[in-house]
Amino acid sequence: MSIWLESTAIGVWTRESPSIWAYPTVLTLHTIGLGVLVGANAIIDLRLLGFAPRLPLPSLAPLYRFMWVGFAINAITGALLFAANATTKSTQPVFYVKLALIAGALVITGAIRRAVASDRSSSQQPARPAVLSARRLAIVSLALWTGAIAEGRLMAYL
Amino acid sequence: MSVGFRTAAAAALVAAGWFAAAAPAAAHHSAAAAYDETKHVEAQGTVARVLVRNPHSWVFLESTDDKGQKIEWQIEMGGAPSMAWAKDGLPIGAVVKVAGHPSRAPGTHGITGATFAKADGTPIGPRAGRGETPQP
Repeated sequence: MSIWLESTAIGVWTRESPSIWAYPTVLTLHTIGLGVLVGANAIIDLRLLGFAPRLPLPSLAPLYRFMWVGFAINAITGALLFAANATTKSTQPVFYVKLALIAGALVITGAIRRAVASDRSSSQQPARPAVLSARRLAIVSLALWTGAIAEGRLMAYL
Repeated sequence: MSVGFRTAAAAALVAAGWFAAAAPAAAHHSAAAAYDETKHVEAQGTVARVLVRNPHSWVFLESTDDKGQKIEWQIEMGGAPSMAWAKDGLPIGAVVKVAGHPSRAPGTHGITGATFAKADGTPIGPRAGRGETPQP
C-alpha cells in the first residue's frame, strides 16, 4: 500500500521533482494551512479563556470558515507529503500520534463551535457551568493542537 | 491609506517571506542530532547510487576501509531542488573525494554537510570552494 502510494505519479513528483514548486511549495502550504487552522482555533480558545473579553463570542463564528480552509489545505498537502515518503512515515509512531491528536482536536473544535453558537454571554448573564466547560475545552484544544504540531515536527527527527 | 496600497504591501510581505523561506530549503533543520559537526571526515570512493529526492537526497560511494573491507559511504544531502548539479557532477562509476561531518552512529559510514571533488581535487558542485573542500 505504502509502496504503491510512493510509486504514484503525484508521490514521485512530490518526492523527486527538483522544482521549487514541488516539495518546498507543498511543505510551505502545509505550514500556512497549519497557521490558519490552528491560529483561528487559538483566537477562539484564548477568547474563551478570558482574553479580549469585549469581543462578543458569536462575532468570532466566521473564523470557522478559515479553519475549514486551513484544514482543507493541510489535508491535501498532507496527503501529498505522505504519498512522497509513505513507507517511512507509515512506520513512524509519531505520525499516528499526530493523526490521533488532530482527530481529538477536531472533535474538541466541534464541541467548542457548539458552545460558541449557543453562547449567551452577550446577555450579560452567562450560564456559569457552560462557561466553565468551555474554558476546559479551550485548554484541551490548545494542548491538542500544540501537541499535533510538535509531533508533526518530530517526524523529521525521530 | 487606500486598499490598493495595503494589498500591495501585503503582497510584498508575502513575497519577501516566500523568498526568505525558499532560500535555506536545504538547511531547514539541524543535522547535529545525527552527525557530529565538530568532526571532519574525508573519503574517496566510486559513485554507486545517487538518490535525488525530498526532503533529503543521498549519495552512495563504494569504498574500502583501512583493513581492505568493502564499505559504503552514505552521504546525506539537501532536497531535490539543491541537487541539479549532481546529474553531471556525480556520474555513476566516477571516482570522487568527499569531505564533511561524520555520523555519530558507531560502525556506520554516514556523512553530511558534504563537499565533493574529483579524484584530482577539482571541486564539484555548488558548495565547491565553500566550507571544507577535500584535499587532493
